[in-house]
Amino acid sequence: MVSGAGPEAGHGGERKGQLFELPPELAIDTDVARRVMVGFIRNQLRQAGFGRALLGLSGGIDSALVAYLVAEAIGPESMLCLLLPYRTSSRESVEHARLVVDNLGCASDIVDISQIVDGYFGRDREIGAGGAAVREAAPLRRGNFMARARMSVLYDVSVVWGGLVVGTGNKTESLIGYTTLFGDSACAFNPIGDLYKSQVRQVAAAIGVPEEIIRKAPSADLWPGQTDEVEAGFTYPELDRLLFWMIDKRRTDDELLNMGFAPAAISRVKRLVAVSEFKRQVPPVAKLGPRTTGVDYLYPRRRPGSARP
Amino acid sequence: MQPLRIALAQLAPRLGVLEDNLASHRQVIEAARAGGAGLVVFPELGLTGYQLQDLAAEVAMRVDDPRLLGLAADAAGMSVIVSFVEEAADHRLFISAALLENGGVRFVHRKLFLPTYGLFDERRFFAPGDRLRAVESQLSVPLGLAVCEDFWHLAVPETLALDGAQILINVSSSPGRDLAAIHEVGLGTAASWRTLMRTYAQLTTSFVVFCNRVGMEETISFWGGSEVISPSGEAIFTAPLFDEGLYFVDIELGDVRRERIGLPLLRDERPELHLRELRRILAERTEMAIDQASEAPTEPEPVPEQS
Repeated sequence: MVSGAGPEAGHGGERKGQLFELPPELAIDTDVARRVMVGFIRNQLRQAGFGRALLGLSGGIDSALVAYLVAEAIGPESMLCLLLPYRTSSRESVEHARLVVDNLGCASDIVDISQIVDGYFGRDREIGAGGAAVREAAPLRRGNFMARARMSVLYDVSVVWGGLVVGTGNKTESLIGYTTLFGDSACAFNPIGDLYKSQVRQVAAAIGVPEEIIRKAPSADLWPGQTDEVEAGFTYPELDRLLFWMIDKRRTDDELLNMGFAPAAISRVKRLVAVSEFKRQVPPVAKLGPRTTGVDYLYPRRRPGSARP
Repeated sequence: MQPLRIALAQLAPRLGVLEDNLASHRQVIEAARAGGAGLVVFPELGLTGYQLQDLAAEVAMRVDDPRLLGLAADAAGMSVIVSFVEEAADHRLFISAALLENGGVRFVHRKLFLPTYGLFDERRFFAPGDRLRAVESQLSVPLGLAVCEDFWHLAVPETLALDGAQILINVSSSPGRDLAAIHEVGLGTAASWRTLMRTYAQLTTSFVVFCNRVGMEETISFWGGSEVISPSGEAIFTAPLFDEGLYFVDIELGDVRRERIGLPLLRDERPELHLRELRRILAERTEMAIDQASEAPTEPEPVPEQS
C-alpha cells in the first residue's frame, strides 16, 4: 500500500500520516481523471440543453467529490446541493454536507424526508400508509425506501431548479450491488461511476475535499452506527483490488488465488457481482416489433434534436 | 526544398450534425490557408462525429455529394484530408478518409479494420474497405492514408511504405481510457498510440502524421494528442491532450531521403519472402481441416496380438 498524498495528509488522526490507503495498481493520474470528469459534466449538460445541475449531498465522500467536480465544471452559482436527512441520520453527516456547501459557496436546501418515510412506515403508535404490518419492516427495506424518497425529492426539485440530477455512486458499490435500484443510483449522468472507492479518495484529496470527509468510515447512514466496511465484511482497499483484478484485468479464480486473495472472498465477491447485474442495466423489453429500443433501434442519447430547446 | 507546413485540425465534431461540422471544416480550411499550410488533416469522422449507431445512414454521403465537392472547392490549392461516412453505390456504408486536391476528391481510403470489441461496435454499422495503396499527391511525395484501427495492424504501414508512401497519415477518433498513474501522461491509450507511431515511423523510415479528435460523445472522451513523427522515430510535435485547436507543424521532406540513405530498412525489406510465407500460412490455415482429416488413419490401428 502507498499512502495517499492529500493536501492535508500527515496532520495526525488514527491513520498517522496517511489519509487513506491506496493500492498502487489503482493509483490514477488525478489531473487526467479530473479533466475527463469535468469535461463529461459540462458536455452532458450542454448536450442536453441544460446549464444547471443538482445533487443530493449526504456528507460522505462520493457526493462531496461530485459537488467539487460540478462546481469546477459549471461554477457553484449553477449548482444546487440538497441535504436530505432522515430523523435518525447522524448529525455529523449534515455537518459535513454543510461544510462542502460552505466551501463551494453554492446554493443549498434541506428537505427532511422523515415525514415521507414515516408517512409510509408509520411512527410509534401511528399506522402509516403502508398499513400496520409494514411497521415491522427490516432496516434494509426502510433504507431502500429512504433512498427512493431522496430520489423523488431530487427529481421534483430538479424541475424548479431547471437542472439535471448528477449521480454520485462509485464503481465499487455499483459492482457489488450496494445500491438501491431507482434510489441512489438514479441520475441523469454519473461522473464518478467508473472510479473505485480508493480512486474516489485519491481524486477527492487532490481536488480539496475536506480531510474529515475523506478520513471517516464510509456509511450509507441508513441506521445509526452503520458502516459499509462492517456490512460488507471487506475493507475498501481489499475489495477494490479484488474487483480491479477480477473485472478490469480479467484474472481467473486460480490466478486470483495465486495473487493471495482468499477463496471465500473471491467466491463471495463473484456472487455479489453476478446477483446485482440487473441493477446495472436498463430493464429488458420483450422483443415483438421490427425495431425495439436497446436491441435494434440504437441511437446515441445525444442525437441531433435531443437537447431541450 | 521548402518545408511542408502541416495543419492538424484537432477538432471536437458535433455528433450527427453534418451542417455544423461542414461549417467548422470550412473555417479551419480558411485558417490553415491563412497560416500557409500545404497539407491539412482532419480527424476520423470529423464531418459526422463518431458514435453514430443508426445515425450513420442518415449522415452518409456519396463521394460525389455536392457538400463534399463544395468542401473540395474550398480546399483548392492545398491537400486536405477529411473523413466522413461514405455510402457506396450499392449502399454499403464505409468510414472513409478522402484526399481533396485541385477542387476535387482525388482519393478515398475506406477504413479496413473495424474494431468490434470492447467499447467498439463498428462492424455492426459499417462495411470494411478492401483496398490499401499509397496515393500520389500534389505534394512532392506520395501519401499513405489510414483510419484509426488500421494502424493496429502491422501490414498497413508496411504496405503503404512499400507502395511508395513517404508520409503515413492516420486519422483517428480514439477514445481515452485505461487511466492509471503508471502510464505516460496517465492514459493507457495515449501510451500505446505513441509507441505504435514512433515504431512505424522508424521501421518505415517515413513521416507519421496522427490527427486524433477531442470532445465527448455519450460516455467517451476523445483524447487528442495529435502528433507528427520524423522518419527517425522522434516526435516533432505533440498536441495537447483534450484541447481543441489547429496546430501547424513544419517538416523537411528531405529528412525521408536522409534517413533512408543512412538506414536503408525499406531497401532491405523482403516483400517476395513475406508474400511466399504468407501464401504458405494462408494455405495451411484454410486447409487445416482437410490436412487433419487426410492424416487420420484410414485403416484401424493394428492391434498387437496377445501372446
